[in-house]
Amino acid sequence: MRKLLRVEILLMGVVFFCLASAQSRGQQPQSQSPKQPSAVHTAPSSSEGEKRFQANCGRCHQAPQDLSPREVKAVVRHMRVKAMLSAEDEQLILKYLAP
Amino acid sequence: MLKKISLLLLLALSGAVKISAQSDTPVITGGLQYESTTSGGVTTMQPVIEPVVLIPLGDHWLIETRATFDEFIFREDGTSGPYHAQTFSTVDYLQLDYIVNSHLTVVVGRFLTPFGIYNERLYPVWLRNFQDVPVIFPIGNLTTASSDGAMIRGALISRKDVEVNYTAFFSTLSTVNRFESGRAGGGRVGVFLPQKRLEVGVSYEKLLQDQRQNSVGAHFAWQPYSAPLDLKAEYAHSRNGQGYWAEAGYRFSQFRGEDSWLGRFQAIGRVQQFEKGTASPIDGLPGANTRQVDFGLNYYLPHNVRLNTSYGRQFSPLGNSNIWNFEVTYRFLFPLIPGGHN
Repeated sequence: MRKLLRVEILLMGVVFFCLASAQSRGQQPQSQSPKQPSAVHTAPSSSEGEKRFQANCGRCHQAPQDLSPREVKAVVRHMRVKAMLSAEDEQLILKYLAP
Repeated sequence: MLKKISLLLLLALSGAVKISAQSDTPVITGGLQYESTTSGGVTTMQPVIEPVVLIPLGDHWLIETRATFDEFIFREDGTSGPYHAQTFSTVDYLQLDYIVNSHLTVVVGRFLTPFGIYNERLYPVWLRNFQDVPVIFPIGNLTTASSDGAMIRGALISRKDVEVNYTAFFSTLSTVNRFESGRAGGGRVGVFLPQKRLEVGVSYEKLLQDQRQNSVGAHFAWQPYSAPLDLKAEYAHSRNGQGYWAEAGYRFSQFRGEDSWLGRFQAIGRVQQFEKGTASPIDGLPGANTRQVDFGLNYYLPHNVRLNTSYGRQFSPLGNSNIWNFEVTYRFLFPLIPGGHN
């Protein structure tokens, strides 16, 4: 019985840790938001992202219309493999497609 | 006790789903097409769906797959008689990608054979300017245009003004239904100038079965920034034959912008030539020397819908023929996990 209780407490601890870390990960962008560059500073990186998009992805197709921020990561990851984009390209294009 | 554990696991799972919904949302994308072709007076119809599923995992992993489901509708005697239909389905790729860094990505599973640029970059129905694949397409893609094995790829040099990219692969023989592939090895090297949007490259493949033949190829692609031009060409050679295709596209977006009624039009043209080598019953190539010229007009509608029309004339000792094509293509993209737009 004691052994079962220990297992139960251990499991609850693991689940609590998972949920706590999930929540903290979910809040990360908010806590980091003050460190994000201002709109003035994002403008050059956005245009750089557009340039990278046009130089790489834009050779074969346009950006899909109605692309939501939730879908962008998977699409750009796919493009990174297909078009052999660098990590920097991936980040800049992500910012351009989901500012 | 079991109920509590189940409840705890459910809570943990919901937490995990919450994480994935925020960052690694899998998506389903692809193309849906209706195609009508009249070649040599014989009309066939072909509805096609090509779904692509993308599942990003963390910062380095991606599972991706594409399948093709198409139905080939034809008349019994070509131009008369009752209609019949045959349904086909293939798995084009089902691969696990591990992105080590900007210079190296390791791919395992079933992937598109990286020979030339057409198979990997231009084959999807929502990307092709002409819906007919080039006549030299089977060169370098001798079995199914897909390979089962492993591939490495990436950019050897990646600078603002120049990129040198590469792929190298090995494929094993597979006769598993829908996962057929040949035993082969090869690769591709390309030099890309991002500031010019100009790329040239060469490909090589050695079939490691049957006649162990070599295939070599070269490709060229240029999309100048100064004009909405799209120029592409490929050359390929094997013992079964050799040939080239060259394609040009011009979007009328220079006049009133690409969203205007005029800017949505794209004029396209293509020339291709093929010289027959040593014939093989499984090479998938024309039975004789062939020349073909195609012209077309595409129209890009809003919401990822495109209309394609084209006319081609094929010249061959086996008989000249006219080829008319009409297609409607819809490109779709949805998240696989339900949730808000953001």
